[in-house]
Amino acid sequence: MDTLLYLTRRIAQALVVILIVTVVVFGLLHALPGGPARGILGPQATPQQITLFNHDQGLDRPLPVQYLYYLRQLLHGDLGTSYTLNEAVSQLIEQRLPKTLVLTVLSAVVGLLLALPLGMWQAVRRNKPADYVITTLSFVAYSTPVYFLGLVLVMVFTQVVRWFPSQAPQGDTVAQVFADPVALVLPVVTGAASMVAVFSRYMRAATLENLSEDYVRTARAGGSRQRAILFRHVFRNSLTPVIAMLGYYVPVLFGGALVVEQLFNYPGMGLLFWSAAQSSDYPVLLGCVLVISVATVVGTLLADVVQRVVDPRVKGGLA
Amino acid sequence: MNNILEMENLGVTFSTESGDVPAVRGVSLRVAPGETLALVGESGSGKSTVALAALGLLPGNARASGGVSVGGTDVVGAGEAELARLRGRTASMVFQEPATALDPLTRIGRQIAEVVRNHRDVSRQEAAAEAVELLRRVGIPDPERRASAFPFQLSGGQRQRVVIAMAIANSPGLLVADEPTTALDVTVQAEILDLLRALAVDSGTGVLLVTHNMGVVADFADRVAVMLEGEIVETGTVEDVLLRPTHEYTRRLLEAVPRLTVSEPVGVVHEESEGAPVVELRGVGVRFGRGPRAVRALDDVSLTVRAGETVGLVGESGSGKSTAARVALGLVAPESGDVSLFGADLRKARGRARRTLLAGVGVVLQDPVASLDARMSVGECVAEPLRVHRSGMGAAERRERVAEVLELVRLPRELARRGPRELSGGQRQRVSLARALVLAPRLLVADEPTSALDVSVQRTVLEVIAELQSELGFACLFVSHDLAVVQQFAGRVVVMRGGRVEEQGPTMSTLLHPETAYTRRLIAAVPIPDPVLQRERRERRVASGTEAGA
Repeated sequence: MDTLLYLTRRIAQALVVILIVTVVVFGLLHALPGGPARGILGPQATPQQITLFNHDQGLDRPLPVQYLYYLRQLLHGDLGTSYTLNEAVSQLIEQRLPKTLVLTVLSAVVGLLLALPLGMWQAVRRNKPADYVITTLSFVAYSTPVYFLGLVLVMVFTQVVRWFPSQAPQGDTVAQVFADPVALVLPVVTGAASMVAVFSRYMRAATLENLSEDYVRTARAGGSRQRAILFRHVFRNSLTPVIAMLGYYVPVLFGGALVVEQLFNYPGMGLLFWSAAQSSDYPVLLGCVLVISVATVVGTLLADVVQRVVDPRVKGGLA
Repeated sequence: MNNILEMENLGVTFSTESGDVPAVRGVSLRVAPGETLALVGESGSGKSTVALAALGLLPGNARASGGVSVGGTDVVGAGEAELARLRGRTASMVFQEPATALDPLTRIGRQIAEVVRNHRDVSRQEAAAEAVELLRRVGIPDPERRASAFPFQLSGGQRQRVVIAMAIANSPGLLVADEPTTALDVTVQAEILDLLRALAVDSGTGVLLVTHNMGVVADFADRVAVMLEGEIVETGTVEDVLLRPTHEYTRRLLEAVPRLTVSEPVGVVHEESEGAPVVELRGVGVRFGRGPRAVRALDDVSLTVRAGETVGLVGESGSGKSTAARVALGLVAPESGDVSLFGADLRKARGRARRTLLAGVGVVLQDPVASLDARMSVGECVAEPLRVHRSGMGAAERRERVAEVLELVRLPRELARRGPRELSGGQRQRVSLARALVLAPRLLVADEPTSALDVSVQRTVLEVIAELQSELGFACLFVSHDLAVVQQFAGRVVVMRGGRVEEQGPTMSTLLHPETAYTRRLIAAVPIPDPVLQRERRERRVASGTEAGA
């Protein structure tokens, strides 16, 4: 199929999914106990105040009309106003999102760079001591809650050996964040740990499966060495299922950021989400949910496109 | 003359969880340059293990003992580095399954070039150019362009040519071919065998050919070694072994091979069935998919199966024969045309009426492993149709009926309590048959029921079906790619090609005097297990091929 046609169709699909997300977010806004009015005016508000507020805000009109209104605001980048910070939600997200992206993307890159070779190495040395040790460590890393792992890391590397600071870079811009790379180490490592655990398992399984494929035998029969077979054939073939998983991992990364930012006092989206949840700041919460949903949809879209590039069969409609 | 391959007292043992399993014992054989030795035997005889041992490609849990020498190098004792130098240069291999033998993500030209560069110090460009030349040699049209194709863009036959191109890239002295044509259609099989023969003759390559197909042996081999349970029981020239076998097992094996009769039969006449039509397809068209990418699977297909008769449905892969069978089973809804089952319109029948109608059809499919649920006991598998269609039946009555049907297909009734995994392939196919017959159907649809079985097992399964048919009188729609089996088994034959019916008629006259060039080509391509006859047939086929090509 034509690549352009595919992309158009795939983006249209993504837009539909995002539209459904907005319906859900809108529904959640209105499912709040007492509606948005109670949220804004507080628990002490009288019914009269609420009615008045609802009328002023157009909240007494039929839901579909309100939804269209909400959608129009969204298109204008208006996500509402924070109850507690008295600032536009869009502005809050605009300030925080880049910093969170720095954290999550770095964690993902570091995590993958470790996980892929590790998984492959494990597959080659399967059922040998090294494999067992790494398998055990990945299960430990995977089942340790992120905040606990972070605390342990902070304790070891700031108290025992004092290699890294216990706080993430505090600057407001991305440039300021990168100005202090040493301070980024602990947050990124904490964020990457579960990623390494999960994706080294995927990679191990995918590599093992590919190593038993017929084409590996063909390559060996042609006189190719183990190393060449691994890097020329098995690696690429094992990568495709891992890429597919990566798209679905975006929300998990954001979830991790929530804890990591809290732990290392890094004012990104996670911290914003966290404090909004503490103070029932619903517009902020839902704004974050919307952004994360969009990021997930974009993530899976990217994963599909990358897979199409890596695996020609996807393009041919055969895989 | 020095032998390119010498095996002396080769033994191979697999270590499994349940202990050591000897797969090959005391195998000694040799292949001279330019000579083809066929290693034949049924599944589990150890012939593929011997082939893999020749290149030191045995899996990790296998231990080899004895001596294997390829071009003077001892393979059993060699390390991986030494083996890598040997593989693809002194000796190379062609595998059974072309669909999976190539890396799906690497262009075929690169895969061939890799073998070249494994052994010779040439630049990337030179290797790529050589790959194109090799593709040309193995008969891939437009090789410059095809070199950048991915394996999935090629047909099965073309993929096998690519694997052969890889195998001959460094002009090896020994070529090991493990069932190189088993996964291919007969016409493609004939082409691949011609190609391998030409390559072997041209370059004096010794060939170790592993196959279960006696026709292929007759077509290709100079000498034959017969394997049984890990040991060689008989060795000799192809004429001696195939025409004058001395070992009892070889005789039994050859007897079980269905032979395509190519001359007038002596007195065997299938009588035309006069019965009422059981299933009738009239002008049926089936399309899969939608829009410009849709595939027309069936186009104006008409065929009839009458009460008590067997109709063979033959054709190459992709000809639509399985789809036609599925239409008769009500599994595929035709886009156009009519299907009548037992006189009723299957397309109009809905709900209970449709279920009742379909209860009169039993089905046996190709794969004996996949077609039985491994989590159910044999008894449960066979009883399932009763549960669906005879829900009023009590448990005791159901058990009795299951036992009855198991005995009908010559299986002991005690088998009902076992799991399908504990049975052999032939037993499993008979369980499938029992399940198909448990409702006493008027029509049996058998889609390649014996293709996955060894010849001796195939024979018993076919005998059981034939006997039950004369006993119970059901009609049979028999889908097969094997013309010899169909010739023995079916009264009428329908030849399909590209979704259309090419021709149909009584089996004997259609297969002996085919009316279309396609059927003639199909029959000419079937190798028959008689080396003298087959040589004549091959020469005639090749001659007519060059005529047609000129």
